[in-house]
Amino acid sequence: MRDTNSEANGKMTSDNELIYKYNRELFYHFDKDKGFTQKVDYQNPNNQVIIKQGWDAAEQRLDEVRQLVIQGKASPIAYYMEKILMEVPMLAAYMEIPKWRVKRHLKSKVFKKIKPETLVKYASVFEITVEELKHPGFLK
Amino acid sequence: MMDATKTIINYTHRQAGHCESGATSNLFKFNGLELSEPMAFGIGNGLYFSYIPFLKIQFAPMISFRNLPNTVFKRSTAYLGIESTVVKKIKDPREAMQMLDRNLEKGIPTGCQVGVFQLTFFPPEYRMHYNMHNLVVFGKEGNMYHVSDTVMEFPQLITYEDLLRVRYAKGAFAPQGKMYWINHAIDKPVDLKPAIVLGIKKTVYEMIGIPFPLIGVKGLRWMARDLKKWPRKHGDDKAAFYLGQILRMAEDFGTGGAGFRYIYGAFLKEAGEMFGNHMELLEASDMMGKTANKWRDFTYMGARNCKNRSKPEEDYGTLSEKLLDIAVSEEKVYQKLKKIKF
Repeated sequence: MRDTNSEANGKMTSDNELIYKYNRELFYHFDKDKGFTQKVDYQNPNNQVIIKQGWDAAEQRLDEVRQLVIQGKASPIAYYMEKILMEVPMLAAYMEIPKWRVKRHLKSKVFKKIKPETLVKYASVFEITVEELKHPGFLK
Repeated sequence: MMDATKTIINYTHRQAGHCESGATSNLFKFNGLELSEPMAFGIGNGLYFSYIPFLKIQFAPMISFRNLPNTVFKRSTAYLGIESTVVKKIKDPREAMQMLDRNLEKGIPTGCQVGVFQLTFFPPEYRMHYNMHNLVVFGKEGNMYHVSDTVMEFPQLITYEDLLRVRYAKGAFAPQGKMYWINHAIDKPVDLKPAIVLGIKKTVYEMIGIPFPLIGVKGLRWMARDLKKWPRKHGDDKAAFYLGQILRMAEDFGTGGAGFRYIYGAFLKEAGEMFGNHMELLEASDMMGKTANKWRDFTYMGARNCKNRSKPEEDYGTLSEKLLDIAVSEEKVYQKLKKIKF
């Protein structure tokens, strides 16, 4: 297995293989002869695949929620919450309201009854306008 | 808030493999003690493992390859007997920023815990709700702060509002404005040896001594056994996502599972040299390096599964065995370290 490993790490990464090229990081390596070494490089292609998988999964979850909102089974808050990768406890912390209230707000029926000032706060957490919150672009 | 004052401390930004030990090492250097990143990491007990299957973070079981935030800074300063200050929680964000400004005026570079989701200069692919990141603020120019983030190749700029926001990110391990610094220049010589011994003992305890099955090597074994069951229990898609989570935690930021083992190995090597080419420490360092390479093999194998999740190339059983093998070789290192008489 040591061979595949050195192949994975030592191979010159040609740039077109890489998805993420924003910043080069410091990586440590170990080799029997050279001992421990440091190298500044982009994340290797192998790890980039793993990082991308995380984002693909997030996109898929967002798609699912979008469908639920279109079908009227979830409120736009559920969509925007997913869009900024939040879950109920975290959104409740930003909203400074109890979790059970946020959970209720995810239902489309309850959404219509939310007070305007609460909507304003949601909009500011999501960094959108109240109009966008009430009528997300994909519903039109 | 818009004042024209300009204070930039002469602080050296050095990139590092791990945010907190990098920040700690750079803060030491600024105060006159040359302490490498591996040294800070080793003395400060950066190495850790825990697996908490019943807690879900970002939709997957919670896996942590690192110690609680601030452990490295607190323990390394404590073990080395260097006076430092940690302000754990500041209620009012404006007050927290004022405290930071006062420190800068006094010429004290200050470490801050931040969340990365809204960290403007951070690589976009890493911007998840992860709150255990560290950076050092070393200057202010009007509304802009100069920060040294050891993930980044170069020092960065961030606005007052953005810095305030990341210092008050919410969620698990919320930073709550936490800040830390070394009180004054280190003018007398520091003996690293006693600190190294303390650091090694603590890490050995945390990895094999804690009588709880989800922490340290025991936790690693538990995770390996669970991994085997995931495809049958959750289906191929979810199993691949969970596996991806292990790999992300193991390889993100170049540290995690594999990376941390390299840093620790480098620490053991430096320590061995400091103790007059201590044979056992040097051997342990070699073993740790090999274990780190095994971790990298594991992520390499795992990544192929993530690429092609409907038809896993590698059997989850094989991956599980690989992890168990890693657990065995890690345990050997800690057992070896435990037996060393300094």
